[in-house]
Amino acid sequence: MADEALARAGLHFDELNKIRVLEPETQQQTLELKEECKDFVDKIGDFQKIVGTFIEVVDNVSKEVEKEKMKAIGSRNLLKSIAKQRESQQQQLQALTSEKKMQLERLRIQYEALLKEEREQKEFIEQFTLQK
Amino acid sequence: MRMKTNIQREPKHSELVSCVGWTTPEELFSGADDHLVLKWNLNSNETTTLVKLPDDVFPTDMHWFPKAAGGGKKAVSDLFVLTSTDGKFHLVNKTGRVEKSVEAHKGAVLAGRWSFDGSAFVTAGEDGAVKIWSRSGMLRSTLTQNSMSVYGVAWGPDSDSVLFTNGKQLVIKSMQANAKPTMWRAHEGVVLVVDWNPVNNLIISGGEDCRYKVWDTYGRVMYNSFQHDYPITSLAWTPDGELFAVGSFNTLRLCDQAGWSYSLEKPNTGSLFKLAWSSDGTQVAGAGGNGQVLIAHVIEKRLEWKNFEATVTGGKQIHVRNVINDAVESLEFRDRIIKLSLEFNHLVVATSTQCYIYSVKNWNTPMIFDLKEGNVSLILQSEKHFLLVDNAGIYVFSYDGRLVCSPRYTGMRADILNYQTVSISNDTIAIRDKANEKVVYVFDAQNGKPLGDGKPITHKLDVMEIALDQCGPATERRLAIIDKNRDLYLTPVRVFGTERKSYKLGNMIQSLAWNDASNMLSALADGKFTVWYYPNTIYVDRDLATKTIFEKEASEFGKNPQLLQFNGNHVIIRRAEGSIVSTSISPHPCILHSYVYSGRWNDAVRLCRFVKDEVLWSCLAAMSAYAKELNTAEIAYAAIKEAEKVQFIVNIKDIPVKEARNAEMALLCGSQQDAEAILLQAGLIFRAIMLNIQLYNWDRALELAVKHKTHVDTVLGYRQKYLTRFEKKENNKRYLQYMEGIEVDWEKIEAKMEMEYQKERERPTVTSTAGSAKPRQSRQETTK
Repeated sequence: MADEALARAGLHFDELNKIRVLEPETQQQTLELKEECKDFVDKIGDFQKIVGTFIEVVDNVSKEVEKEKMKAIGSRNLLKSIAKQRESQQQQLQALTSEKKMQLERLRIQYEALLKEEREQKEFIEQFTLQK
Repeated sequence: MRMKTNIQREPKHSELVSCVGWTTPEELFSGADDHLVLKWNLNSNETTTLVKLPDDVFPTDMHWFPKAAGGGKKAVSDLFVLTSTDGKFHLVNKTGRVEKSVEAHKGAVLAGRWSFDGSAFVTAGEDGAVKIWSRSGMLRSTLTQNSMSVYGVAWGPDSDSVLFTNGKQLVIKSMQANAKPTMWRAHEGVVLVVDWNPVNNLIISGGEDCRYKVWDTYGRVMYNSFQHDYPITSLAWTPDGELFAVGSFNTLRLCDQAGWSYSLEKPNTGSLFKLAWSSDGTQVAGAGGNGQVLIAHVIEKRLEWKNFEATVTGGKQIHVRNVINDAVESLEFRDRIIKLSLEFNHLVVATSTQCYIYSVKNWNTPMIFDLKEGNVSLILQSEKHFLLVDNAGIYVFSYDGRLVCSPRYTGMRADILNYQTVSISNDTIAIRDKANEKVVYVFDAQNGKPLGDGKPITHKLDVMEIALDQCGPATERRLAIIDKNRDLYLTPVRVFGTERKSYKLGNMIQSLAWNDASNMLSALADGKFTVWYYPNTIYVDRDLATKTIFEKEASEFGKNPQLLQFNGNHVIIRRAEGSIVSTSISPHPCILHSYVYSGRWNDAVRLCRFVKDEVLWSCLAAMSAYAKELNTAEIAYAAIKEAEKVQFIVNIKDIPVKEARNAEMALLCGSQQDAEAILLQAGLIFRAIMLNIQLYNWDRALELAVKHKTHVDTVLGYRQKYLTRFEKKENNKRYLQYMEGIEVDWEKIEAKMEMEYQKERERPTVTSTAGSAKPRQSRQETTK
């Protein structure tokens, strides 16, 4: 009876006969909830940490990717410009070879003229020796 | 020949270099869009800033005051004109102080050039105007006003006309106000650059059509280059006019004056906006579009003479190779090599301070002497000595390094002499005048004094090219002249008393060369290669002139070939595209010449008999007739079937008096005046009179007879005979006058003539080998 009266007044006794405001069951549940909440918070904290490192890693990766991307673009451009460079180099070399060709042609003409002269002189010597 | 280019690792200018200019071959200046004018010391490889221009001044062109014109006034030669985009030009002195800035054009001033004498300079601008300024920067005149920007200007050789670009055209405008300008369409694109060389009088131009062209002053194209990859942005002649450089994007080309290119370099300089040669013509500086200043040296110049080959391998080194035994000599020099010449068994090398003379027999110990002015522009050699030309004058040195003489005349301009306008032989120097191109000055090579009466040889037209023969005695020196019409004339250098007789040998002559060992003359003319085996023939017997010539088709030498050398029986020709071609002529004329020089007439005859060639016989006939070698002449004329001349010579041989024989020989050569002069000088009045009678030269015959008071009746007698034979009446007043007083008695005349011949015969025995003392003796007798 006394218990009921107390309960009506919002007071309860627990197993250890201590006076309580909450019902022992609710109390129990509250405590459980508290425990669970704590667990939950810990877990969330862990999660956040894990996610944080993940983001960091991903960030790093993205940076790397960005870098590589730039590199790729750079090398692609370089490749393009090298083609152009080659072209101009080729042009230069062509100009130089055509110059050399002209020189060669000049020397060839000179050589042929000399051969011709040699022939003529040999012919002359032959005639000269035959006459005697 | 090629260029050795030199650029800095890092450009010294941060912006495009727009102009370059030399003061000495060691000092270069460059102006760029970074507003700096830098001074380059090539000895120490140092670069210093001469002047920092205001921020709104972008230089476009720079030209140093011509040193040759400065004369004694040193202060003036340390000045340059700098043009800029703000329409001004600035006179800047060597210390970098801007002495004067003058507003010259609307828009940018694109070019500024001093005249060769330094009395004026010309500027050309974007506004299309070409203006002439005095030395102090006062406007003299606006030469022309065009609708298009004028990109390039150049002065004419005499500083009396200006060449400028006008769109696709080139224009030459004289300073004289009313003179009509010469203009011609030069390029397919806009003409960007021009240059005009005072020495060879040729013009080069380059434009946006990526070609460069060589022109003469009449606007005829001498060379048209192939199309380059980029527009031609700069051009420059060497001071001596033998080479020019062409600049384009990453391109530097070295070309011969004929236009063909010696070499091509691809320096990494961007477009070469300006090119400038140092005064000695060995280095060229280029203003690079990427801030580089290019400095290039001409190396690997190669000379050939007989079996020797000299190559300049570096700035201070020459390799000489003897082709016969493959021996190579390496010659080292203290200074830069400026000019070299290899001929007549000697190699002459002029460096910037000294002259080295090597004999081909000894390469170890050259003769060395110091040069007054280290700017030799020309070396010409003859067998005994050689000629050096620098800005100040002409010097003749012997091969042992002794100064022989230094010929000069008033108004001489040594700086513009070239191979065409000066010639040397063992005893004579000939120089074509610049002020009056008809005039050729001749000097004795031993003492540098003008020859004869000091009067120069004056041709009737402008002389383009001269050449002296190299052999034989000094009195028979001949000068070959090519005039404006490209006609070839031969004229004696030394004349005594008589008039100078020059004869035309040929026309349309492109180039000529005398032989180095005998007086043979070769020329390229009108598609033919011609050799005059004995050019003197025209003074001996004009009938033989065409018979002593060797002609050959020159089609194998291409268009416009150039004769380089004529050594022995070997001819070296340069084709228009630059290849060297050699050919040979028969060796016989050369041998014949050597026999005749040494007086071995019998050997000469034997040679001709062996060869059996009419040309050779003709040469011998002319040579022997000239030498008055009657026996040989008789044989030679007989061999070429000139019966009447043989007859004539036989008659001459019967004449007992030497002078009379000489006179008859002169007649054979067709010079009656000479014949008469010889006779009169020897006192052979009768023969002189008879000579004129035989030539129907009646007035002169009578004049002589009357003057010397002999044989008047003889003259009258012959005159009567002549009149009756031709059934004519006497109408000559002088004869009528003398007819009256004198009776013609043929018996008397014949007796008198017989007496004359008798007198001649009675002279002391004068055979064909008469000594020099005898004629004088006989002369005394006749005058008695």
